[in-house]
Amino acid sequence: MKRKWLGTFLSSFVVILLMFTALGQADNVCFKCHKKADFRARIVHKPVSDGRCDACHSPHVARYKGLLREKTDELCYSCHRKEASLFRRGVVHAPVYQGKCLACHVPHASDQKGLIKRTLADDCFGCHKKMPRKFKYTHRPYSQGRCGVCHRPHHGDNQQLLTKRPDTLCISCHGEAVLKTAHRDYPVPIGGCLSCHNPHGSSRKALVRNVLHPPYKKGCRGCHNGKSKIVTIDVCFNCHGPAKKEMLRTHSHLTSRTGNSCMNCHFPHTGDTKTLLRGSQGQICRTCHQGTFERYKESPSRHPDIDNCTGCHEPHGSRHLAMLKGNGNDVCIRCHEDQGKFTHPVGPDVLDPRTGQMVTCSTCHNPMGTRFKYQLIRDGKKDLCILCHQAY
Amino acid sequence: MLPVAHVCMPSGGIKGYRPHDGTGIWMAKKADSGGLKQNMDKAMRLKSVMSVLAFLLLFLNAGRSLARSPWQWNLALKQTKIKDAMVMPTALFLDREKGHYYVVDSGKNRLLSFDRTGKLLHILTAGKSLDIPFDMVRTGDGGLWVVEKGRNSLSYIDLKARKVTTHTLYYRGELIFPDRIEYLQGTLYVLDKASGDIISYDMSLGPLRRFSCGRCPGGFVDFKLYGDSIWALDLLQKMIYVLDLKGNINKTIPVGKEVSFPVSVAVGPSGYIYVLDRHQGAVAVYDKDGGFKYRFLNAGIAQGQLYFPIEIRFDPWGRLCVVDEGNGRVEVFSR
Repeated sequence: MKRKWLGTFLSSFVVILLMFTALGQADNVCFKCHKKADFRARIVHKPVSDGRCDACHSPHVARYKGLLREKTDELCYSCHRKEASLFRRGVVHAPVYQGKCLACHVPHASDQKGLIKRTLADDCFGCHKKMPRKFKYTHRPYSQGRCGVCHRPHHGDNQQLLTKRPDTLCISCHGEAVLKTAHRDYPVPIGGCLSCHNPHGSSRKALVRNVLHPPYKKGCRGCHNGKSKIVTIDVCFNCHGPAKKEMLRTHSHLTSRTGNSCMNCHFPHTGDTKTLLRGSQGQICRTCHQGTFERYKESPSRHPDIDNCTGCHEPHGSRHLAMLKGNGNDVCIRCHEDQGKFTHPVGPDVLDPRTGQMVTCSTCHNPMGTRFKYQLIRDGKKDLCILCHQAY
Repeated sequence: MLPVAHVCMPSGGIKGYRPHDGTGIWMAKKADSGGLKQNMDKAMRLKSVMSVLAFLLLFLNAGRSLARSPWQWNLALKQTKIKDAMVMPTALFLDREKGHYYVVDSGKNRLLSFDRTGKLLHILTAGKSLDIPFDMVRTGDGGLWVVEKGRNSLSYIDLKARKVTTHTLYYRGELIFPDRIEYLQGTLYVLDKASGDIISYDMSLGPLRRFSCGRCPGGFVDFKLYGDSIWALDLLQKMIYVLDLKGNINKTIPVGKEVSFPVSVAVGPSGYIYVLDRHQGAVAVYDKDGGFKYRFLNAGIAQGQLYFPIEIRFDPWGRLCVVDEGNGRVEVFSR
């Protein structure tokens, strides 16, 4: 008899438990206030469809906005564990690195695959606002908003998050035979597509970049003498005298294994701007100085517009440390005029007693980034001052 | 007003404490009058125990770092008068015959010599004719070969004749941009900044051979000669190449993640490899096989610290010399 009662009790317990669980999934208490319709779309995030709101949210109190249990990226990676390690490798997309998963994705439901906010193109252009949606001549995948044909969204092995190396990527669609026909008189093996073509679009046919290097306009012979396919730097210096002067300084970017240092940063034939730069400053500088960007990217205090490297640094060459445009004062007071007049004594007549070097703004500040406000190298309340003023 | 930290204490103990700024001493704010003295004693005992523990931890930690780095600051090659200080020294040459140091002061266009105790001997401005000197060697005839960046020249200073002769270098018609220079048995080895290759020249500046890292993207940024080997450093790939004097690469040693911006390499008397990290202001040390051993020094301005250091080199007495460009001095460390 006792066994019978026990059996009935256990069965009832299991049935009630199942009922509650089903209720929890089907009619989550959260939806009593939050409209269920807001969580419906073609693609629904699994925890949402399972009614497990508490997987991400704490119902009562939380440290993070939206009653989230963790920071957004930590929360995402707590389930998407494989991605957590994968997304740290190679070139990483800025929002991914910054842990801003919600810059592109929505957490609950979306009509777009991968729970992205809008269409892929709309998502990309949401941040890449400077890029025009249309050119006079637009590359077809670009006009169709299929950014993913060439770029990866999270991380990759190639610059600009390209899915393959640039030339390989171009050939993968356009085919080698077609390219050879299009470049019939090309004197060297076809390659370096991006040095002449803008992969997104241009006002010129065949997506040739908008600005042509003047000697290139006239023909190849202005620079290529026929003896060597590499145009040496002294050929560039023939026209660009001031750049030569800048290169002949204590520190310079006169360095290249490809035979011409200018080509590290500039395209030789065409470009999108007058300077024929290969990309934005951040992109170009990162190719060699990735470590510097990495070191300072998490510094709480950084100078605004820090990606504008040439605002402070001389790109060709300099007689100053860190290839600055002037000594540690001159470079700052071009913008910080007041501090140039009223500040702690600085300048050629004020020498650091420890080293005999001129006291400059950079004696106390490191604009690249520090832990302390105003990019001070130590805590400005005391620690910084006693580096020199030890008697205090 | 400092925030009050509430701590759990035995009954009748101190209920409110607040830390005293800086000293680490915990001060009683308010306590039951009867147990105050007793609790103060407890607090003091706790403080003593904590202090001893902290001291032991510090001692053990310091001991560990000392055990890891045997190098001690020994002396600095610099001007004694602050106003005469060097500005952006870029290279050090060691005259083993005379036991003298030569420092290239690129910012003030001069060369300074010091004895082994760090005493300044001479200042050479070559009649104020030098234009951004960057590196130098002294050859057997007593003359100085100086890389002048401003002129893109490998200039010869004849000390006896008090004459400076400039030379533009070429290799098979290609213009060369001298950067680093070494001298061995009648041959000058010049690092071409533009290509990152090392080119050897005879004493009449006739080109002899090109030493290259092959397909490395940035080329070499520094090199030293040891016996019959060239030890060259590739910054971008963070790799040391060991070449023979015929240009064959015999060995490559990756220096990996231990350094962020390697600019100079030196091999110590025991065969250990030393790599200077310009951005971290540190020296990373590797064994003969390239196994990382330890790193020492850090960035800063104080004695023994480095600010944009540019070159390392061992002196004939086994001391490690670091050309500290940002601090305008050469720091010498001994074991």
